Formats: sequence, structure tokens, C-alpha cells
Amino acid sequence: MHIPDGYLSPITCIATYAAALPLWMIAFKKLKEQLDETTLPLIASLSALSFIIMMFNIPIPGGTSGHAVGASLIAILFGPWVASLCVSLVLLIQALIFGDGGVTTLAANALMMAFASSFSSYYVFQILKKKSFAPYISGWIGIVCASIVLTLLLGIQPLIATVDAQPLYFPFGFAITFPAVVGSHILFFGVVEGIFTGIAYRYILKNRIYKGASA
Amino acid sequence: MKKILYPMIILFILIPLGLISENPAWAEWENEYYQEALGFIPEGILNAFHVKALAPDYTIEGMNDILAYYLSGMLGVALIFGIFYLLGKKLAR
Repeated sequence: MHIPDGYLSPITCIATYAAALPLWMIAFKKLKEQLDETTLPLIASLSALSFIIMMFNIPIPGGTSGHAVGASLIAILFGPWVASLCVSLVLLIQALIFGDGGVTTLAANALMMAFASSFSSYYVFQILKKKSFAPYISGWIGIVCASIVLTLLLGIQPLIATVDAQPLYFPFGFAITFPAVVGSHILFFGVVEGIFTGIAYRYILKNRIYKGASA
Repeated sequence: MKKILYPMIILFILIPLGLISENPAWAEWENEYYQEALGFIPEGILNAFHVKALAPDYTIEGMNDILAYYLSGMLGVALIFGIFYLLGKKLAR
């Protein structure tokens, strides 16, 4: 999910921006190193693909919905930094143009859906590289890690911002947030991201779309 | 390179499937939900600052939802390609 404005206390927003800014700067440098005539169209396409798959809201039992992110696929092809920046860019467009996710919470959304997702996917893929199921597991892990970060960000709100027993921002603590969010990502959205990442990765290998993919 | 565009186009055509779910993402509820569940709306959520979105929630006022979803998709994809195009030009210099 994209955290809307008003869900996180100002101190959380500031902290997440303070954490994300240097990461974005490093990521931008890494992206610049990788961009050339062959990679640019592919990286742009995969970013667009990430935007498109986030538009597929998948309804799940319990009356909510969610979506895959597409960070894992970029991460295993171009590394976690490039993937983080590409997904952050998608999140920025979603926040500014479509009101999907807040602007004050953009850094928080990037830390989970871009950075946590990309880095966990990348390292899991590196470990399992030799196995054919590596991209599937890596996609699943990415989403699950993102949901854990989301839980942390939401779950601390009632602890740090409650006045006269009334929470000022997101009102539900870990006991409610964790099973709902992480559970649904383990069972549904992670599975979708895993299948997407696996199929897309195989397609890219088979059609020799990106030489670096076989590495 | 072209080969990556085929699956993208297919997914793009299927975009309205994303509208099947009427349900919001967990915790992305309307303010009324908090009123019902808690008896009050947390102050920060009630007074949240909002940027005026061009197409809030991928809808466009007065336009058919499916059409607006397609247009939103096109706009998003075009913006992403536009940004990378500019980035490429800047780096080529």
C-alpha cells in the first residue's frame, strides 16, 4: 500500500526523508553509471512496467486489496540501487499526479516499496542465483520485506503520537497492523510479485533482451 | 528490445482489470471508516495536507472510469519515458 498524507507523524516523515535523501543520491550516481544506449530503453521500460503492474489492484479476502510492485525484477537485472531509484520515480509520479501515496510520506513509501524491496530481492537472488526458482523467491521476499517496513512505520505511530489516549495519526498498533499487512503480503501480493518476477525474468533471458541477465 | 514491449502492451490493455477491486488497500480507508471503527478521526488524518492531484486515484472528473484508467496509465507511462529520455539527453552531453 501507499501511505497517504496524514498517516505518519511529522517526526516520522522527517526521519524517513533524512534516511532516504542520501540513499537517493547514491542511487542516482549508480543509475548514471549504468545508463547507456542499450540499458536506458530497457530501464525506462521496466520502470513503466512497474507503474503498470501497480495499477492492478488485486482484491483479497477480508475486504481489502493490494498490488505487486515490480521492484524485484529491476533489482535482479540492474542491481538494487537502480531498482530503488526507478521505483522511487514511479512513486513520485503516483503521489504528484494521481494522489496515490502522500507527498510527506513519499520517503517512507520509497524506503519500503523501493529500497527494502529491491535490496532484499537482490541479495536473495544472489544467494539462490544457480536455482531456477531464484527470481520467484526473490520477488516474494521483496514484497514481504516491504510489508514489514510498512508495519514498522505504521505500528509505531500510536506509540509516539497519542495525546489523551487519542492517536493523532495512524491509530492501530503492531498487534493489528502486523498480521493484517505482513500476512496478506506473504499469502497474496508476495506470491503475485514472485510469479511476475519469475516469468518476466525468464522471458527476458529467453529472448536475450538483456545480456547482463545471464550473469 | 522490441520484445519487452509486447508483454507491456498486453498488460497495458488489461489495465482495467485493476478496477475489479472496489476494496481499498489495507489502511487506505476513507475518513468515515475511522469514525465508525474508533468513534473519531485521528487529527492528523483529518487535517492532512493534500497535494491537489491531476487525476486523483486514477480517475478524471466526469469521465468513464475505464477510460480514465487507460488515460492515467498512458500519462504515467509517458511521464516515465519522458523523464528517462531527458536523463539520457543530459547524460549524453
